[in-house]
Amino acid sequence: MKTSARIAAIALSGLALSLGAHAEEVYRDMTPYIDYGSKPRASDDARHTNTYQYWKDNARIDPQRASSATQFWTVNWKYKDPPFNDTLHGGHDAQDRGAELYRQLNADGRFAACLGAKKGELKGLRLQYPQYRKDMQRVVGLEAMIEHCADKQGMKLVNGSYDNSAVSVYITAFSNGMPIRIDVSKGPLKESFENGKKLFHTKAGWTNFSCATCHVSVVGKNLRGQTPTTHYGDVAHWPTWRSKDELQSLHVRFTECNRNSGVQPLQIGSKEYTDIEVFMTALSNGYPVVNPSQRD
Amino acid sequence: MKITLLALAIGGLTAAMPAVADEALPSNLLYDAGKEKKTVWPLPVKNSGELKYNEHRQDLSKWPTLSYEDKRPTKKAEKVELQGPLNGNAENGKKLAMNTQRGNCWACHALPGDVQPGSGGPPLLNVGTWGYSDAHMYQQIWDRRVANPGTEMPPFGTNGVLSDQDIRDIVAFLQSLN
Ligand code: HEC
Ligand code: HEC
Repeated sequence: MKTSARIAAIALSGLALSLGAHAEEVYRDMTPYIDYGSKPRASDDARHTNTYQYWKDNARIDPQRASSATQFWTVNWKYKDPPFNDTLHGGHDAQDRGAELYRQLNADGRFAACLGAKKGELKGLRLQYPQYRKDMQRVVGLEAMIEHCADKQGMKLVNGSYDNSAVSVYITAFSNGMPIRIDVSKGPLKESFENGKKLFHTKAGWTNFSCATCHVSVVGKNLRGQTPTTHYGDVAHWPTWRSKDELQSLHVRFTECNRNSGVQPLQIGSKEYTDIEVFMTALSNGYPVVNPSQRD
Repeated sequence: MKITLLALAIGGLTAAMPAVADEALPSNLLYDAGKEKKTVWPLPVKNSGELKYNEHRQDLSKWPTLSYEDKRPTKKAEKVELQGPLNGNAENGKKLAMNTQRGNCWACHALPGDVQPGSGGPPLLNVGTWGYSDAHMYQQIWDRRVANPGTEMPPFGTNGVLSDQDIRDIVAFLQSLN
């Protein structure tokens, strides 16, 4: 009974939306947009925080800058990546676990095919995501697709779970060094990008914060031991190994930023988080994939 | 929608995605009506294909979310007038200002005795000497948007985070800083 009532409500709101989004639009405070341009890329940060110069090449990070209490944020945490940081960490264990799970899942080659790997080739596969799937009628990230395709093989890999992210790390590492390149200039990905951009700047929660409140308005400022960095170039190292001993997917990271800023988190794999993922991936265009990776 | 139905169908499993049970709320929140604080967050468990959900320290579903289904607007800036004498308790105000889950002013403002001063807003180390009236300070904490619509400072009064007395106490604390 309850469920059918909700279906009706959603069907109705879908109708209202298609009749005219304007009538439905409710007032929300927004953080003003910065100039994202029509073909966003990581280097555009030069006209935002202008820190791109300090993190564009992670083989040439200035160690002094990286260890400075006031300037470290300008390196966008890239000193955590190899070759600057070549320690072994939980991300490598995850990669091994992912390899083992992948072997089981792909015994008959259908798992790789489902993910869109041509002839089972995993190199470059990460760069195809997020993508629009006609058959699923939505935009999906790699982790959502891993869940979907594992399901077909009879294995439950919930989006955001350790094992899902482990498979993602394993697959992503094949694209190491290849620059992110997602085209958000047309079609469903453009729509998703625009929605994600809007969400990133929409204020919510008891704090009335948007993502951009921290990553744009007070970027580089000290929030009692936490310093938000630029939102450009942030996607190339996910999923990542967090120092609190957690293998974390990008969507799980979103729930953490939401909670930390007094905003209700949403479900992993939701359309909203996927749109933000598309937005942030476009802002990483041109920046090379690096995984396994580690962050504080 | 499909996702919610799926979660309900496999609801017997412990780690199923929590389903929102309150009809008035969007269906895709991480919300568990069975938990005291309602808001939950996902924790990956090593070598597992499931997520564990932990209870957050606060019910966050009461304020507008980023869900496309959420039709709650941002509350408009509220202009308020401080009624009667301040009657604030500065000591309690200090506790509120330096409590991460209440005023949390120190996240953005430098306050005396804090070794990790926030820099998201101006230092308030001697704000008591700035010549601000109690009424002016009261309004800034209730809703700073009245003076600056794009401010980063949360509207503590309008959003129901701090009560009238809480804000009086914090104003008394701020006025004591010199
Ligand atoms: C209260 C401030 C605050 C808000 C609001 C906030 N974040 Fe963050 N975020 C941080 C801090 C601090 C970090 C850690 C430092 C960094 O990487 O910027 C961070 C890190 C991140 C990272 C990881 C970056 C990396 O290089 O690993 C992502 C992704 C992210 N935030 C996305 C978001 C999104 C999306 C939102 C809105 C849903 C959001 N944040 C809202 C403060 C915030
Ligand atoms: C997210 C950051 C943030 C938090 C948290 C915050 N403030 Fe502010 N506050 C600001 C900023 C930024 C300004 C500067 C003015 C502006 O931009 O609106 C400011 C300005 C002020 C001012 C000066 C207003 C004026 O008229 O000059 C006072 C007083 C103040 N804040 C008190 C507080 C108190 C008390 C708290 C806690 C209850 C608090 N703030 C929490 C960001 C914050």
